[in-house]
Amino acid sequence: MLGHKPSLPLPPHRTPRSAVSANLATPAMSIFEYNGSAVVAMVGKNCFAIASDRRLGVQLQTVATDFQRVFKIHGKLYLGLSGLATDAQTLYQRLVFKHKLYQLREERDMKPETFASLVSALLYEKRFGPYFCQPIIAGLGEDNEPFICTMDCIGAKELAKDFVVSGTASESLYGACESMYKPNMEPEELFETISQALLSSVDRDCLSGWGGYVLVVTPTEVQERVLKGRMD
Amino acid sequence: MSRRYDSRTTIFSPEGRLYQVEYAMEAIGNAGSALGILASDGVVLVGEKKVTSKLLQASRSAEKMYKVDSHLACAVAGIMSDANILINTARLHAQRYALSYQEPIPVEQLVQSLCDTKQGYTQFGGLRPFGVSFLFAGWDRTHGFQLYMSDPSGNYGGWKAAAVGANSQAAQSMLKQDYRDGMTREEAVALALKVLSKTMDSTSLTAEKLELAEVFLQPGTGEVQYQLCSPDAMGKLLAKAGLTQPAPEA
Repeated sequence: MLGHKPSLPLPPHRTPRSAVSANLATPAMSIFEYNGSAVVAMVGKNCFAIASDRRLGVQLQTVATDFQRVFKIHGKLYLGLSGLATDAQTLYQRLVFKHKLYQLREERDMKPETFASLVSALLYEKRFGPYFCQPIIAGLGEDNEPFICTMDCIGAKELAKDFVVSGTASESLYGACESMYKPNMEPEELFETISQALLSSVDRDCLSGWGGYVLVVTPTEVQERVLKGRMD
Repeated sequence: MSRRYDSRTTIFSPEGRLYQVEYAMEAIGNAGSALGILASDGVVLVGEKKVTSKLLQASRSAEKMYKVDSHLACAVAGIMSDANILINTARLHAQRYALSYQEPIPVEQLVQSLCDTKQGYTQFGGLRPFGVSFLFAGWDRTHGFQLYMSDPSGNYGGWKAAAVGANSQAAQSMLKQDYRDGMTREEAVALALKVLSKTMDSTSLTAEKLELAEVFLQPGTGEVQYQLCSPDAMGKLLAKAGLTQPAPEA
């Protein structure tokens, strides 16, 4: 996984107009932390859940509290994108392009594993000028077997059997998921677990939060829920 | 006659004709026919499958109907390999538009771009024209349901009802008589089947020889839906229209 984080150049000096820019001259922030994000996915019994926070910030200022980070590719495949918001949106749009053509030519939906390879290839194409995103892919395979994986911003895949995390709150998420997760949870229990893990982790991260968005997918239905947590 | 003006697409004949383009249309006149009818609540496309042999591997994909985007489909008459190239081009063009504008491509724009491609093959490059005629059916927010017909020359027009392929002249005149504005999809399907049954060369009309596709708005969500009729449903429709005939002795 990529360890080195490139840093954002310092903002140019200007006559202070607001309290934010005056004294709080923000230190060089990583480009991955510019907007703030938290995305997590978990595997349950014949189901999976994917969740994200809803904050969109510009460094320390919150700009939106309903930002979408989890996108649908098809009925049984979802993509969560943490990191720079513009890259998340563009990456999603380009993947929709590729997936739509795939669907038209092959007359079927893409399998999650195949989609993961597609995302990985797309990211590696930009190896020396990458998309500043860390995707999470969650889907149900052909036999409705749950599949989750994550990768770094240049496409190194990491498959997991239990959970995957990404975003500015990833360290807290790792801890929360590790302690709260247990295998073969039913959809309702999975929802509770992922929600608690998400909310408790974003509370420890100033750049993510402002509620949560949770999606639980089973072979027969998809349940979307919006969480109200600490609205800060 | 004017044979010396035949071989190159890029020159006019003395009478002002483009022979290669006309020869392409001849080729289409030998291919399986396709009909399109615009209804008040959707567009209906029906195609006649030319090759029906017991030896042919039953394929899930349609022979004459192709989906171009979620809101656009087309029926094809002519050389299938030429059609495949153009359909790929159309699909890519539709997705590129959607990527740039985050909106589905308006039907006419897609038809126009494809026709621009076809026209190029009649003016430069020295390559022969595509031997395909299309019937495009789609929906967009500005103009609702639309039906377009395009030919190898790159000309296209919007139609209420149109026919391409074998016996298209006969089919077109029959449609002219029987088409009424404000038809529903069901009525359009019945009309299409009636016209096809009269103009098709085959002696009996069976579900295996036909393909039916409809473009309409899903009642609950209002999303555009493209649906290819299954062989069973096709059989039922033919029975309802009173068009089924006993299968010939094998």
